[in-house]
Amino acid sequence: MPDFQYPTNSRVMNNMISLVNITKTYEIGPVQVEILKGVNLNIEAGELISIVGQSGCGKSTLMNIIGLLDTPTSGSYSLDGRPVADFSDNKLSEIRNRKIGFVFQQFNLLSRLTALQNVGLPLVYRGISESKRNKAGMQVLEKVGMLNRALHRPTELSGGQQQRVAIARAIVGKPAIILADEPTGALDTKVGQEIMDLFIRLNQDEKITLILITHDMEIAKQCSGYVRMQDGILHKN
Amino acid sequence: MIIRSNIIEAVNSLTGAKQRSILALIGIIVGIGSVIAMVSVGSIVQKEALQKFLEMGTDIVMISKKSTDTGYRKSKNQEITLENALNLPAQCPGVRIVAPFFSKYETFKFNGKKSTIPALGITSSFQSINKLTLKQGRFLHSLDENMLYCVIGEKVEKKLLSLGATKLVGSRILFKDKYFTIIGILQRVSLGGMRPFEINEGIMAPFSTLKRIFPDAKIKQVMARLNSGFGILEVKEQIQSYYKRHNRLAVTVRSPEALIGQMKKQMRLFTLLLGTIGSISLIVGGIGVMNVMLVSVTERTREIGIRRALGARKGDIQFQFLVESIVLCFIGGIIGIGIGVGATYIICYYAHWQFFIEYASVAIGVGVAISVGIFFGFYPARQAARLNPIMALRSD
Repeated sequence: MPDFQYPTNSRVMNNMISLVNITKTYEIGPVQVEILKGVNLNIEAGELISIVGQSGCGKSTLMNIIGLLDTPTSGSYSLDGRPVADFSDNKLSEIRNRKIGFVFQQFNLLSRLTALQNVGLPLVYRGISESKRNKAGMQVLEKVGMLNRALHRPTELSGGQQQRVAIARAIVGKPAIILADEPTGALDTKVGQEIMDLFIRLNQDEKITLILITHDMEIAKQCSGYVRMQDGILHKN
Repeated sequence: MIIRSNIIEAVNSLTGAKQRSILALIGIIVGIGSVIAMVSVGSIVQKEALQKFLEMGTDIVMISKKSTDTGYRKSKNQEITLENALNLPAQCPGVRIVAPFFSKYETFKFNGKKSTIPALGITSSFQSINKLTLKQGRFLHSLDENMLYCVIGEKVEKKLLSLGATKLVGSRILFKDKYFTIIGILQRVSLGGMRPFEINEGIMAPFSTLKRIFPDAKIKQVMARLNSGFGILEVKEQIQSYYKRHNRLAVTVRSPEALIGQMKKQMRLFTLLLGTIGSISLIVGGIGVMNVMLVSVTERTREIGIRRALGARKGDIQFQFLVESIVLCFIGGIIGIGIGVGATYIICYYAHWQFFIEYASVAIGVGVAISVGIFFGFYPARQAARLNPIMALRSD
């Protein structure tokens, strides 16, 4: 089993994300499908790393585990040096809310709400008032260049614009980590590149740790590092 | 803070699925509306009935011959007569005045049209005991004995007017084979207390006059007003012992208290029955809400996944859907209360009852609506909260 550590070759406790021998098995009827077969990965604060792989190789499952939406079948996952297996469901929700921002391939904006309301959504779960949510929302919408579309609903926006709003939603809570699952997958190359530029800028200016899942090598190469995933195992590039 | 945004969210999502929300609302509106209307009508009817007793006063008793005769064998041929009834005030210290009466149905004829109406043979004290007021003319006086005079009730007045009569007081009507002169028209009286219903329906003539027309008429009842300072039971005893001593006659003495007690008991059953019918429709409405909420949860599975990813706890999701269900039921409850009160008003208008809003029932209505929201929203909300976030995110 390859033991991959990135970028240093010693396991240091100040790693932000530390995955040791993570496996994930799904039971589909009587059949057990092993999606992750012992993943080891260390990510430090401030990195911009991409995980590359064909669809079905388990990279989305890995991201769900990192994003605390799913729990590994075995292995240990420490976030900021603390094993997440100890956390309650509510605690996990709170960490997702405060520490992690999600960006999805399909944007996943709520079509009922305006861009501004969508962006403010994570702050609702911190009990922040609407006026403060709107203020914070306007700030991040400005950052992603969507200020003039704040009151539009997602259906009135193009794919690239929706993804910018989704990124604004991911950063409104000032998270330490952004997890982006194929963020450019639904966009054409030019718009995809603009989104990528935005990620790089956020990584450099705001020092946000970015973990990008992609199958596009052109995107992966722009990151400070990338790992390749194949059949549930990570390979050092 | 989070409650406010949850309520705003709930309203938004409910207005987002208008048709479905309206259908669920109708269920709740009908449920709450019928509970409110039925309970209100129940208490209005009760108050109305009590009102009639209070109008006449509670110091009245009704004396009648015991129908199933068990006590005294010889009483078979004994009857309450005008003489022994009029003797009551002298013989029983608790009785102040008496009004014996009998009633007979006969054809009456006016302008060639016939119909059958009741006639009451009464004495002059009948007016004060029943608290009758006159619209026109005067009431029967003790000096009118044996005269062919009558006082008419509201329905007879209407009938006569519809038959083309213009000036009623002083005109004559044919009752059986005698012409009676109308000397007074009574105001409509409310029934249900101890008043004989014939007051509104028929004519009233002197006891002696009618007794000559109907020689075999028997006294139906004697109404008696009590002297103050005597208890009902005490007077009842005096009257019963008087008839036993002098006429070997067993009589029943009914007091308003007993009637009111009996009526209250019936009313409680009536209200309970109506409330139960209303509650059943409310349960049906609640199931409608549950159905709508379950559909809403299924439709918004992806939204739930997104919210969970953004940091919503299970409790937040559960609360969100619970608030939505409560808001739905609350709105339905408010409209239902409006419709229930409106329906009550219409019923009262047509039944000539005194309309009033029972505020307790309104408060209960709101409370029940919210409870229905919680009860029937709980299961769908829990379903929503228990969704696996990853599965939810993947759903379409």
